[in-house]
Amino acid sequence: MLSVKGLLSILRKLKSAPDQEVRILLLGLDNAGKTTLLKQLASEDISHITPTQGFNIKSVQSQGFKLNVWDIGGQRKIRPYWRNYFENTDVLIYVIDSADRKRFEETGQELAELLDEEKLSGVPVLIFANKQDLLTAAPASEIAEGLNLHTIRDRVWQIQSCSALTGEGVQDGMNWVCKNVNAKKK
Amino acid sequence: MMKHFMRMLLQVWLYSYCICLWRCLKFIVRKLTGRCELQRICYNNKPGATRTMKIETSLKNSKNKLLQTAVSVHPDAIEKTIDDIMVLKKINLDTNPQLGVSLQACLLQIVGYRNLVVEIEKLRRESFDSDNPEHEEMLFKLWSLLKPGIPLQSRISKQWSEIGFQGDDPKTDFRGMGLLGLSSLLYFAEWDTTSALQILSDCLHPKYSNFNKAEWEKKKFDKAIGYSFAIVGINITDLAYNLLISGALKTHLYNVAPEAPALKHFQQTFCYLILEFHKFWIEEDPLDIMEFNRVRNKFHKKILKQLQNLDMALCPHFAASEDVINI
Repeated sequence: MLSVKGLLSILRKLKSAPDQEVRILLLGLDNAGKTTLLKQLASEDISHITPTQGFNIKSVQSQGFKLNVWDIGGQRKIRPYWRNYFENTDVLIYVIDSADRKRFEETGQELAELLDEEKLSGVPVLIFANKQDLLTAAPASEIAEGLNLHTIRDRVWQIQSCSALTGEGVQDGMNWVCKNVNAKKK
Repeated sequence: MMKHFMRMLLQVWLYSYCICLWRCLKFIVRKLTGRCELQRICYNNKPGATRTMKIETSLKNSKNKLLQTAVSVHPDAIEKTIDDIMVLKKINLDTNPQLGVSLQACLLQIVGYRNLVVEIEKLRRESFDSDNPEHEEMLFKLWSLLKPGIPLQSRISKQWSEIGFQGDDPKTDFRGMGLLGLSSLLYFAEWDTTSALQILSDCLHPKYSNFNKAEWEKKKFDKAIGYSFAIVGINITDLAYNLLISGALKTHLYNVAPEAPALKHFQQTFCYLILEFHKFWIEEDPLDIMEFNRVRNKFHKKILKQLQNLDMALCPHFAASEDVINI
């Protein structure tokens, strides 16, 4: 009898404190490393990744949150579809290939357009300066300067250097995400 | 805790009991029919996946070292292994002339499949390297097959997206599939150029291609784009690779390759898969490209289900060379 009561109280506790669901949008140019990052978050094998046609979605439990991460293809042809996924986004993660200097301008432009979107206004943004494992990668500070990140005033933001391949820096970024989930400015 | 332990003990005991029972049964049947399990499999099953897969299971589960290791011998050692098995099983070759040949054919397929897995994995692990002239040549060949008569303006060019690469340099699109992705695409474009061009054209023109241009503009279907041919080809390579590695492709390859399955059989399988996927995509009539992964997963399940049928062959059979034809 006692054990039944105990079980019921545990069940009740579970029911009363369900994980808060968080909608995370993962965007960036093609070959930035979004899918690798997604699989790294879900602790899946990252050696068979192919270009994303359409989108991938995965749910990850982290620090009392249920993170629903939407990874949308970054190909130019698919970018017009990004807007279909803006609604109800809690955190935007923008991924940059730090070694692809030729496309810094392009990626900066896409980010600026995203930050101007009404549906994403006030949404916290985490910028992953990915591929730091490559020798030619630009440091996060250089990217932040190049993209004029310090001019962002309408939301909380953070730039985090990482390597989705080795996992370095990824957890630090996600810790920031969990801390700032509820920091959306209305 | 104790209960859990007891249950586990019971399971282990049950398992060993079943194995023991199975061995006794095999012993009795052997005494009654005068044939060993390998013989019985060859007599009762037609050549192809039905027979080869049963032989493979039987060899792997054998407690004899020679039989166990037979599935992983070097192809050149197959004949010798068969002779050893004949001696071990005390089979009289004069009264059973067929058996050795049949077993040899099975072993050739089993060993061949294992070697094909190694070969494909090696090709997949080789990254596309723009400093390697061979790789570059393959890429240019793919362009000239898919865009006959249209010269590429430069190596780095927006034109690449016309055949379905993402950006202006295809190099970054091969990713986890490496050279395997490129060689599959190239094989398809060479072997069945007509179909490749047809698929490419379907992809470039919106799915409602039966409308004329005016109707098209009226309906504003400009967003209803097809998929990107090259990167979907790389994605379907991943599907074929997964089927091979998981062993699901055994039914198909044991049925179509009377000798050892080789690279060309894998590539032919890829051609079949991409053609079938294209048909499937059109039948599914997805709203837009964002449905790609849903359609792809459904297609994957469909193929897996088909491969459960032991008589399944995904593409036409290949002719066996003279010495295997009479098995």
